[in-house]
Amino acid sequence: MSVLDLPSNRAEAWRWADLGGLAAAAALEPVARADAAPYFLDLPGARLLFVDGVLDEGASDLGSVTLAQLAAGDHPLGRRAGGLGWLLRLDGQAVTDPVQVVHVATGRENHLAAEIVLGEDAAAQVVETYVGAGWSNRATRVELARSARLMRAVRFLQGAGFVSVRDEAAVGQGASLVTTFLGAGHAGSRIDGQIVVGEGGYAEVGGALLTAGEQKQECAVRVRHAEPNGQSHQLWRAVAADRSVASLAAAVEVARHAQKTDGEQSLRGLLLQRTATVNLKPELEIFADDVKCAHGATVGELDARALFYMQSRGIPKPRAQAMLTRAFVADSIERIGNEAVREAFAADADAWLEAVL
Amino acid sequence: MATKNAEAHAAVAKKYEWGFATDIEQDFAPKGLSEDTVRYISAKKNEPEWMLDWRLKAFRLWQTMEAPDWAKLNIPSIDYQDAYYYAEPKAKATIASLDELDPEILRTYQKLGIPIEEQKVLAGVEGARKVAVDAVFDSVSVATTFRAELEAAGVIFRSISEAIREYPDLVRKWLGKVVPQHDNYFATLNCAVFSDGTFVYIPEGVRCPMELSTYFRINAENTGQFERTLIVADKGAYVSYLEGCTAPMRDENQLHAAVVELVALDDAEIKYSTVQNWYPGDENGVGGIYNFVTKRALCQGKRSKVSWTQVETGSAVTWKYPSCVLNGEDSVGEFYSVAVTNNRQQADTGTKMIHNGKGSRSTIVSKGISAGRSDNTYRGLVKVAPGAEGVRNFTQCDSLLLSDQCGAHTVPYIEVRNPSAQIEHEATTSKISEDQLFYAMSRGLDQEAAVALIVNGFAREVLQQLPMEFAVEAQKLLGISLEGSVG
Repeated sequence: MSVLDLPSNRAEAWRWADLGGLAAAAALEPVARADAAPYFLDLPGARLLFVDGVLDEGASDLGSVTLAQLAAGDHPLGRRAGGLGWLLRLDGQAVTDPVQVVHVATGRENHLAAEIVLGEDAAAQVVETYVGAGWSNRATRVELARSARLMRAVRFLQGAGFVSVRDEAAVGQGASLVTTFLGAGHAGSRIDGQIVVGEGGYAEVGGALLTAGEQKQECAVRVRHAEPNGQSHQLWRAVAADRSVASLAAAVEVARHAQKTDGEQSLRGLLLQRTATVNLKPELEIFADDVKCAHGATVGELDARALFYMQSRGIPKPRAQAMLTRAFVADSIERIGNEAVREAFAADADAWLEAVL
Repeated sequence: MATKNAEAHAAVAKKYEWGFATDIEQDFAPKGLSEDTVRYISAKKNEPEWMLDWRLKAFRLWQTMEAPDWAKLNIPSIDYQDAYYYAEPKAKATIASLDELDPEILRTYQKLGIPIEEQKVLAGVEGARKVAVDAVFDSVSVATTFRAELEAAGVIFRSISEAIREYPDLVRKWLGKVVPQHDNYFATLNCAVFSDGTFVYIPEGVRCPMELSTYFRINAENTGQFERTLIVADKGAYVSYLEGCTAPMRDENQLHAAVVELVALDDAEIKYSTVQNWYPGDENGVGGIYNFVTKRALCQGKRSKVSWTQVETGSAVTWKYPSCVLNGEDSVGEFYSVAVTNNRQQADTGTKMIHNGKGSRSTIVSKGISAGRSDNTYRGLVKVAPGAEGVRNFTQCDSLLLSDQCGAHTVPYIEVRNPSAQIEHEATTSKISEDQLFYAMSRGLDQEAAVALIVNGFAREVLQQLPMEFAVEAQKLLGISLEGSVG
């Protein structure tokens, strides 16, 4: 990879991007392959194990997923991921068990494309987990036909390196897309998203980025309402410890004729040490007049009064801090519909909090 | 809505009232921009050597820079060689009193309603506040009033060219300290070719006895105006400064690239109010002023305070981010803005609050009103440095959309590096509620009055920050900019 191909921090969309981190991750020496088994949840349905972007057929059960040659769009990072990737294509009315994908990286860089195409009224769940070390780069294209429903949960648990994901989603008429991210590993990350919401469509994208050490994690997600009556929610939480940087950039765009759009953004950052940084950019770009769009953004430390109250009720300070921080993060992963998945994500977040606090 | 809008747009045809041009003889610098232009301006101003060097340094720097493109503005590339950088009304070498001022210029300001004749103010309603005015006509300051009274209080209120000659040490100490020469493309250009502007110095412990005001007027064709304002408030000083601007209606776009620097030392307070009403172009977006302004305040002292209030109704393109660098402990920065865009206007405006001092606080209230086919963007940055304990910021950005062809955008950046900071940001976007409109009309207001009432209510938090004389003008302006454009 040539660093010269990467965009520069001078470009607005890449202002907070850790482009040096990408190059450093790609140069990581190979490491032993991590055991993927603990990362598969006890759920029925397809299981895919990719090692450095290559399917481990022995350890996978493809179910309704196939492998196919996929185009990867023209995003500066996403376009590197074109080629053989995984494809979940469901016909109308079809419903499938959760699809679990575990990506194990063993150093250097790996790229992989994916496509999820749901027919009318089809419903699917996808759970993705990133472990190992190195630079894992993904491009995922999602296409939802009328009234289709997709719930996607993605967690970054890599011990080192960088995970970059580029999502491009088209939410059809009355369809629903709920995507939740959790960054609770030690690798850097960048979530790039472009979601186009059709008439009466529903899109929810959010999650929690938990950063510590020298880590840099960020999201740059744009929801575009192209048709009337759409609804979108972006709920992001960032917790930054040590010298880490968490950046949340979320944009809502309402096209000229997308009247009656309801767009909501909530970005909140929590700083655990004075050396940490949280950057927020809740952006609204509105061209229609009959819309309801609001955003709220806050950064700060834990509420001193709440902390004091809990201590006065006999809860030791570290525990009170942990409880409040946990509640702060909980909002963002509560949206995961599948209970087993939600609990697994909550457990990952808890493990992170315990290690850091 | 559609029919109401039609009526509305008919009513909006109210014309830009300040669009006349004044026919006076003027001296121009040769067209185009080169080192010679810079030398010409400097020589015209009779500037000391250090000033010329400073300008040339900026000019050489500017040649290596590129125009910024991150703003949400659609501007054709500007030919910097196709403009005059200096235009001066041909007049007597020195003016002893206002009587000697070119009557045409005096008439221009009378037409604009700017009281540069001291008597007019003195003979005004009893109890009316006095306002000292510095009038800048194209590239030159033509009149500064109430000098004697201000001097008695120790206040220096001068055009900047005079100040460079009369108070070189003071100017040199602060010029370019808030907005450095290499700050940005337009500021650097300004450093090289700035023509005139205002210099204010309020000495320690002095409360400026009257409002100070500068009125900027672009008159000549094909001319850019590059004014430079520097206000220094020494320890414990207070000053309220007003700025107004207009330009004739012309078919080509004219450039206005200003730099405003404010310095507030310990316990000083500066209140800076702007009513910007440059010619916005016609309803098809032909003509109008390109307004690229760098305004920045340095709250250097403890408990210093700077308050920016702006009402932006004019200009074809506005690119303006009045900012506060809050270095002082417990210093305070405020930004109150109403930006109105109509027809094809584009505004990308907001503020930066850089918190470096402990306990520094800032408030941002921005109200964007878009009508016609315009675009209105709030772009702001709140930044908290690691050493700044106990920082507090509250930001509120509201947008009102008055047509289905316009755009309202909000791009706030928040960068926090200290956990004790409390940063809050809220934003909403809406149109005028039909319920509110219906209610106001059911109480006997006609549609236009009802809309004006609601819009004024929407902008009230900002308007009430303005000094009274300005608030009245601003309210009137809001009405004219929008009259009937809603329904």
